[in-house]
Amino acid sequence: MIRHAFAEGLIVLRERAVVSVILAFALGVPIAFAGVGLTLQHWLGPVADLSGQNSSVAVLLHPQMESGERRRWIAEIAIDHPRWTVSEVSSSDLAERLQRWFPYLEDLINSGDAALPSLVEILTDNPDSVTVLEGRAEVLAIGPRSSIQQTLGRVARGLALIVGVVSFVLVAVAVLLAAVWVHLELYRHSDEVIIMRLVGATEGTIRGPFLVAVAIPGLVAGILSVVGSLVTVSGLSQLASALGLSAMSIPASVLAGQLAAGVFLPVLAAVVTLARYAADATEG
Amino acid sequence: MIRLRSVSKEYERRTILDALDLQVDAGEFVFLTGPSGAGKTTLLRMLYAAEHPTAGEVWVAGRRIDEMVRAQLPLLRRKIGVIFQDFKLLRRKTVIENITFVLRIHGVAPREAHRRAMNVLRRLGLQHRQAAFPDALSGGEQQRVAIARALAYQPRLILADEPTGNLDADLASELLSLLCDINYQGATVLVATHDHAILESIPARTLVLHQGQIHYDGMWPP
Repeated sequence: MIRHAFAEGLIVLRERAVVSVILAFALGVPIAFAGVGLTLQHWLGPVADLSGQNSSVAVLLHPQMESGERRRWIAEIAIDHPRWTVSEVSSSDLAERLQRWFPYLEDLINSGDAALPSLVEILTDNPDSVTVLEGRAEVLAIGPRSSIQQTLGRVARGLALIVGVVSFVLVAVAVLLAAVWVHLELYRHSDEVIIMRLVGATEGTIRGPFLVAVAIPGLVAGILSVVGSLVTVSGLSQLASALGLSAMSIPASVLAGQLAAGVFLPVLAAVVTLARYAADATEG
Repeated sequence: MIRLRSVSKEYERRTILDALDLQVDAGEFVFLTGPSGAGKTTLLRMLYAAEHPTAGEVWVAGRRIDEMVRAQLPLLRRKIGVIFQDFKLLRRKTVIENITFVLRIHGVAPREAHRRAMNVLRRLGLQHRQAAFPDALSGGEQQRVAIARALAYQPRLILADEPTGNLDADLASELLSLLCDINYQGATVLVATHDHAILESIPARTLVLHQGQIHYDGMWPP
């Protein structure tokens, strides 16, 4: 019956080509918008804590500190400064973070000859308080802690909030559009649904074509959103590079999430609509 | 095959069926007749669970169907071939697609479904109309497609609601002999009709419904 669902679903799509295209764009644009927002958050994340009012300050530790010493030092710092959240950057992220916080270490990082120094990040609402660590033997350098970090954090948080709300509202509208469309199609095809029921078709057979009819524009929406995000982020990344900032890239998980959301959201809307109205719209 | 126990049906305080008791055994050929509004169509609709009785029990093929939940109905309906008074053909499908669609629901492979559909269309003299859409067919042709669809999957029970209503005398006679053939092959056939000529053409058990009750149950002509 999968073949039947696809054949009938494609017929519905052909009959309602304009609505399908509108649905694909209505879903694709906000999902792309959300994807760009998430990428920006991912990019700004290490610099500014986007979930609260705190900022991160990087502290470069002496490369000869052993891991045990490092752990003890971090534990002591955390006890001495209960309002700080201290975390060590993992070795997998170390090169990227070092380059971001201490651009002058680029040659050292790229040479690959020397062991990279350890890095801890301190999350605090008062970045200047980290200066108490200056002069300690374990500390090689402290990263930027100027108010620009806090400003950046505030701007990023505001941006994330706006992008989040706008994306949510637009996606909700698009999902509602999908639900209304399925509802109308259900009534338009009510005679056929009645006949199908009377000759022994299961609910899966009856509902399959409607799900296919929204899943295909959903897939197109997912692809559109991925392409849109890639183009937008590429433009933003070039802008960032021109300003001397690190390049941006969309995490693979965000791209996968965009594709999945494109298909899943309208299908979910269709499933709920069919569950609510399929029985009422048709007798038998 | 069919058993009704004290079945009643009311619509807005109007009694359509009144404490009806009925038994139809497997392999029987039964006519159901009576004036318009006697409850023939309601009774048939109850037998394929499109209506639920207000009171009483409805048993079909050993299953009590008035208590079935929606999810159980498809399996029941696949055992029953229904020839609807208003044909109930899928308008967006061709003649052959209307038939193969039902066969596909029954799990028949596409090629086999096409072969069986062509066989039944040939039997009903409709093979040349296989690619036509229902709206391009005459009333009689649509009726025959509806019959072909009901017969295609060789159901154990055939319910026919005024199956000859749109057919001329020759085609009506052909249809009846077709239903008799299917009955000889073991299927139970229940035909609702108000056409006396049909009743008199084949000696068969006949139920006369009047004001929601069975007034006569026996061979016709009496």
